[in-house]
Amino acid sequence: LGCGTGKYLSVNSQVYNLGCDYCEGLVEIARKKGDEVLVCDNLNLPFRDQCFNAVISIGVIHHFSTKQRRIKAIKEMARVLTPGGQIMIYVWAMEQKNRRFEKQDVFVPWNKALCSRRFSESNQSGDKGEFVHAAKGQDIHPAQLVISECSYQNNLPPETHSKHSRNMDHCLARACCMKISEEENRFYSALGRSFRSWFFSRSLDESALRKQSDKMKHLKHEGVWANSTVPIQHSRHCSLDLGHHGALVNGQGLDDDDDVFVESLSLKKPQWSPATDALKDLSLNGEHQSVAQSKGDEASFMNGPVEDRDRICGCNKDGAGKSDASKFFKRTSTTDSTDSALDSAVSVGDHTDAVLDTKAFMRYYHVFREGELCSLVEENVPELQILSSCYDHGNWCIIAERRG
Amino acid sequence: MKLLTHNLLSSHVPGLRPGGGFPLRIELGHPSELPPEPVPDYEGDEEFLRRVHHVLLEVEVLEGSLQCPDSGRRFPISKGVPNMLLTEEEA
Repeated sequence: LGCGTGKYLSVNSQVYNLGCDYCEGLVEIARKKGDEVLVCDNLNLPFRDQCFNAVISIGVIHHFSTKQRRIKAIKEMARVLTPGGQIMIYVWAMEQKNRRFEKQDVFVPWNKALCSRRFSESNQSGDKGEFVHAAKGQDIHPAQLVISECSYQNNLPPETHSKHSRNMDHCLARACCMKISEEENRFYSALGRSFRSWFFSRSLDESALRKQSDKMKHLKHEGVWANSTVPIQHSRHCSLDLGHHGALVNGQGLDDDDDVFVESLSLKKPQWSPATDALKDLSLNGEHQSVAQSKGDEASFMNGPVEDRDRICGCNKDGAGKSDASKFFKRTSTTDSTDSALDSAVSVGDHTDAVLDTKAFMRYYHVFREGELCSLVEENVPELQILSSCYDHGNWCIIAERRG
Repeated sequence: MKLLTHNLLSSHVPGLRPGGGFPLRIELGHPSELPPEPVPDYEGDEEFLRRVHHVLLEVEVLEGSLQCPDSGRRFPISKGVPNMLLTEEEA
């Protein structure tokens, strides 16, 4: 679920893999790599009950903006699991290696320029984002099963079906990327590109959402939705729940902020050249995490705490400009890569004096506290029994089994 | 979309009777040979199994649609990718 461009679809070649994502653009890329994929909604899966042996949800449900939606996503995934089938869920942790997110509900910037460059032909060349690698893919012969080593889970039965799907709320099929309105552009421009700031805010509860959606009513740009052809999507999508008025979902980072299954954990260098100040400010150079943990053949996530995570993904959030203004803090520059995501994170609810570059988008995350994901499942999804949980790469993760 | 995937899919249009969304009817973009009917006692039939394997895993629908048996709602398949999203009104 939330497969994006299919990063994890080749991890276990001994099973029938099916990737799902809310975003057509990303799914198409995965398709071109030879993956079996489809477009669907995590909250309303188009599958029969109990038809999969395994489901993975890596860095997905933290994009759902309310607890109810996160629960619904988990319940849907549980529904399609066979009894005894297992699910693995990874979500961003509030507690990172050296610091914590200030709040649980945050927007993390993501620079659209990165994405545009990546996908749009008209953009500057010379960009060798990570994505390029993903897109090239290999020649995958559909009927050929390549036996490769998996660095994690080896205990799935041969007929296991894994499924990924990624979802965004209210993403219109063809318009995953929202353009910022003129007014907002001017607004953001006025603040200058070199600004970075911190915002603190209340969490994204129902009342806040209602206020948001009321504001959003006036901003709905139907034309923009319908005609947008920017295929900018990465696997991470913002899932801001604005009720019926549609969230602005969008684009994502080129990187994988939770590339937990990669065997060779090399430093990830940003392959693109910074196009804007905002981009520089994102401290991309600092973002690679050298993953110190050793990955054996066992499930890596079992090996205790890991280095931090990665990267920033951003998404465009139109509504960012609409919430109530609030104070903001100027961020001191940091060179610590592990903090870059935290530094550039913006708490939900704030803003206006946004400091964001016009090309920077924000992606919503609800980061989880220790134990929160477990409690969420234990209290709301009785059909699942948690088998194990841990902290891995700045993520809280669990493996649960569908009760028989 | 491989036919094995099709086997897992069900229409999730709201208000269907239980099981009413399965199986989705495959409508092809252009005419193509459809697989043969299964024969009884197929487990031991090597040749048949080979054909079934081919049909399930090696044949793909590239263009067409999947139609919900009860509601008639069509889900498009384009470039080999089915789009199972419901509109906001439907959901």
